[in-house]
Amino acid sequence: MQLSDRITGAAIAMLGSVAFLYGSKLPPVPGQQVGPSAFPMVVGAGLAICGVLIVLGIGRHFEEVAEADVISHATPEELEPLPAWRSWLALLPPALVFFYALASETLGFLPTAAIMVLTASFAFGARPKLAVPLALIAPFFINLIFLKLLRVPLPGGLLPFPW
Amino acid sequence: MNTVIQAFGLVFAWDVLIAIFASAIYGLTVGALPGLSATMATALLVPVTFYLSPIAAVATIITASAMAIFSGDIPGCLLRIPGTPASAAYTDEAYAMTRKGQAETALGICLWFSALGGIAGTLSLMILAPVLAEFALSFSTYENFWLALLGLMCATLVARSSPIKAIAAMLLGLLITCIGIDNPGGVARFTLGSTDLLGGIEPIPALVGVFALAEVMRALTEREPPKMPHRRLGSILKGQIALTKQYPKQQARGNIVGIIIGVLPGAGADMAAWVSYAMSKRFSKTPEKFGTGHPEGLIEAGASNNASLASGWVPALLFGIPGDTITAIAIGVLYMKGLNPGPTLFSEQASSMYALYIIFILANIIMIPLGIVMIRLASRVVGAPRSAVMPVIMVFCAVGAFATAGNNLFAVYCVAAFGVLGFVMEKNGFPVAALVLGIVMGTMVEQSFVTSLIKSDGSVLPFLSRPVSGVLAAMTFAALLWPVFSWSMEKLRARRAVAA
Repeated sequence: MQLSDRITGAAIAMLGSVAFLYGSKLPPVPGQQVGPSAFPMVVGAGLAICGVLIVLGIGRHFEEVAEADVISHATPEELEPLPAWRSWLALLPPALVFFYALASETLGFLPTAAIMVLTASFAFGARPKLAVPLALIAPFFINLIFLKLLRVPLPGGLLPFPW
Repeated sequence: MNTVIQAFGLVFAWDVLIAIFASAIYGLTVGALPGLSATMATALLVPVTFYLSPIAAVATIITASAMAIFSGDIPGCLLRIPGTPASAAYTDEAYAMTRKGQAETALGICLWFSALGGIAGTLSLMILAPVLAEFALSFSTYENFWLALLGLMCATLVARSSPIKAIAAMLLGLLITCIGIDNPGGVARFTLGSTDLLGGIEPIPALVGVFALAEVMRALTEREPPKMPHRRLGSILKGQIALTKQYPKQQARGNIVGIIIGVLPGAGADMAAWVSYAMSKRFSKTPEKFGTGHPEGLIEAGASNNASLASGWVPALLFGIPGDTITAIAIGVLYMKGLNPGPTLFSEQASSMYALYIIFILANIIMIPLGIVMIRLASRVVGAPRSAVMPVIMVFCAVGAFATAGNNLFAVYCVAAFGVLGFVMEKNGFPVAALVLGIVMGTMVEQSFVTSLIKSDGSVLPFLSRPVSGVLAAMTFAALLWPVFSWSMEKLRARRAVAA
């Protein structure tokens, strides 16, 4: 997930320019010089400038100082690089949260959360001996907390909370 | 006097006391788990505070954050892994003491001076806030604009990253607050035709995504920390009074530095600890002992990070400008609970303010007994497998956001999106704290900016010509140019060194 400064800088510059253009097209408030377009234009322009500066590598020096500081405080094992697939694994939690948003209404909270916990637990390298009971018990407890203590009804779906 | 009695009545209600106790245990546990930060502990609490009374809600945040900052020291002492980033500065020192067989002294220092620092911070809040409130009453939109901007600039200055990237992150946060119809013209901006985006992006799901979900993501890409061996510990508080007497100067300096850094917007406990540790070393009579298990730096930095917590509330309560990431979350809760930040809070809701002070002091007092229990149980808590803790936190992120947004699934999508954004930003050196400050303060910055411009008929002159406003503007520009200055100074010095 580590991208070069050129890519992130260019993306920011693009975003800033788009925001500036979009902002400039917003309808003004009649009778007033300043309206809803002012702020997006200022922020957009600022972002565009920052993006260009990042592409040019300005300010990189400060990052190097900070990185050297972190490395001097880390143990050798922490600095060994992990295999590349591990960094893609990082997308699993947001994908599971996305899945919750899609499925919780139809499936219900308990099954959805159980699937989430089971998958994530395996991804963290848990044995089935830990992951399966966790996936069965944790959603139940979370539902209990939200329903009884906070009085938030969570979606029942296929498997409503038993009481 | 009447308001003080009222305040005691507010705090010593059953629901508040239970909230303090429960959040203390929660904060101690989360802080002690490596990889879970105090900010994350606070972000995950927000959905719960939604359903509590205003004082109980504020109490949970204050208590949980104070406990988490202390208990982050525990795995630092025993494992050389900071439980929260705020302990990172002196982890080596604390671990060196443990290796010398002084684990209980090191943990005792962390606990005792954390509590003292927290109380010092609270005193500063009690003294500073009302004085500044009086001053702040005379502020108009021009001053508020510069103050907010200065706050944002400070956040980029202390980010320990490229200042340009920090400014970009902050501007991105400001741009995010442009989404929706909550703007001076009431026009739908950046909604791309989506009805969900009309209401804008709520700060809470964004915070949960950036601080909690992104942490879960990062944990997946990192190794599991090693198991902690069970260790028998002696008396924790033994010798602490003697140390207090032996190092009064260090302690006072740590408290003061912590308070100052806490008040500065955007700079929080982590920064306070780094600065104090460095200062302690520089002014020490025995700097060569640092890093070998010497209590001096530990005392100063341990006091400093807890002192910064309370003083971080000063700008938050007065101006709605967060002193650190924890108060950024707290501001959201204050608004939610009708305790809108502003100088009038101190006259109109005086009893609530006193209650807040009492909670701070109470939290720092119960930190000592509960902290000792936590230290004794540490080997069990720190040993909790990540594969059990992280999945549950992930579910909490989803459900919590869903509940705070009034059972709206759009908030859950926001959590996922901001989790990815926070993770990618962090990996590429863009400080997420600056992004969050932008999101929290964006609406206020825009309002004061546009209102001021409307008042002045589009002229920028009044932004600079009013005395207080001019000073604040100068400070903002100084903050903007500081990195350039420090960089060129360093270049100059390097050139001189080469020449000599």
